[in-house]
Amino acid sequence: MTWIVLLFLVLGVVFNIMGNLGVLVFPDVYTRLQASSTCGTTAVFSVFIASMLITGLSVMTAKILVITLFFLVSSPVAAHIVARYAWNKDMVVWRKFHD
Amino acid sequence: MIDTALLIVIYIFLGTTIVSMIRIVIGPSAVDRMIGLNLVSAQVLAIFVLIAVKDKLPVYLDVALVYDIFGFVGLMAITKYFADKDKEDFTGV
Amino acid sequence: MDLHRKWKIVRVVLTTFYLMAGWVLFTAALDPLMLGLGLILSFFVSLLTFKLFIEKNEVDFHSLLPRIHYGVFYLLLVIYKMYVASFKMLWLIIRGRINPRVVHFRTRLKSDIARVALTSSITLTPGTVTLSLDDDHLIVHWLDAKTTHSRYAGELVKGVFERLLKRIWI
Repeated sequence: MTWIVLLFLVLGVVFNIMGNLGVLVFPDVYTRLQASSTCGTTAVFSVFIASMLITGLSVMTAKILVITLFFLVSSPVAAHIVARYAWNKDMVVWRKFHD
Repeated sequence: MIDTALLIVIYIFLGTTIVSMIRIVIGPSAVDRMIGLNLVSAQVLAIFVLIAVKDKLPVYLDVALVYDIFGFVGLMAITKYFADKDKEDFTGV
Repeated sequence: MDLHRKWKIVRVVLTTFYLMAGWVLFTAALDPLMLGLGLILSFFVSLLTFKLFIEKNEVDFHSLLPRIHYGVFYLLLVIYKMYVASFKMLWLIIRGRINPRVVHFRTRLKSDIARVALTSSITLTPGTVTLSLDDDHLIVHWLDAKTTHSRYAGELVKGVFERLLKRIWI
């Protein structure tokens, strides 16, 4: 059990660091949003699963489960709100020039 | 062993929160700053849950849920404010 | 008693039920006093907010009570795809060669809540963010695009999700 908890914690840390790096490195608003929404959500979700495995069967587990479900609903909707605002503002999509 | 790992993970999340604040400071447009704000809010939520698990304090979980809800509502309010402001500027009022 | 009043009563009862479940989960107290207080409070809150919670012209039975067993399977599928997508994103960040495009396609789902669920799961999975949702027309930003043909891109992005969501909500 300890090793599974440590695996999820390490996954959370790695995804978190890489998501931050992606937000700093990528060239465009939309690509930064991709890095933030995918990697950030997965990092926080892994940390929540590790916390649920640590607390076992108790009231705290049910509360963390509610927080996890609400986070799974709210995070993509927040990303979609930001992306829709940027798209309605006619921001140009960055493209690589071929050949 | 798990307590030590939790402490290390809390400090790493604090460090990456400071790193993602760079994007809030240098972001060229308002949308970049919103992305940074969203990321900081998610990481602070994770720190709340980790502290609650480490010290076995269930009160922190209620605080975390309310923090999550208010972060979501606040992001929506910021977006709506900017959209209204852009419309005003466009019509020349 | 006409039809509108009956439908209003059903809506108030359903909203009270959902709010009561949340109250029991968060107070975690099973005394009769606390349960009665929660029932009274959730009844008053549902009198104020049932118009927002359930629409007046919501006619489909499955949008009120979705099929739960398919829902659990759908949640597990989304979590699995989320991890795969994150590993792909890790590889893209390390390698640094991206090819972003914008693709348009249509969906065949009928009810509103199913479309919102499809939008959220597209945002969570492989390098795609939904930019705009207008009736049944989706605009998607795709990192590392394979194609720009509308029907093929739609099959690649939303293939499995749409088939499962049609079974949950129609």
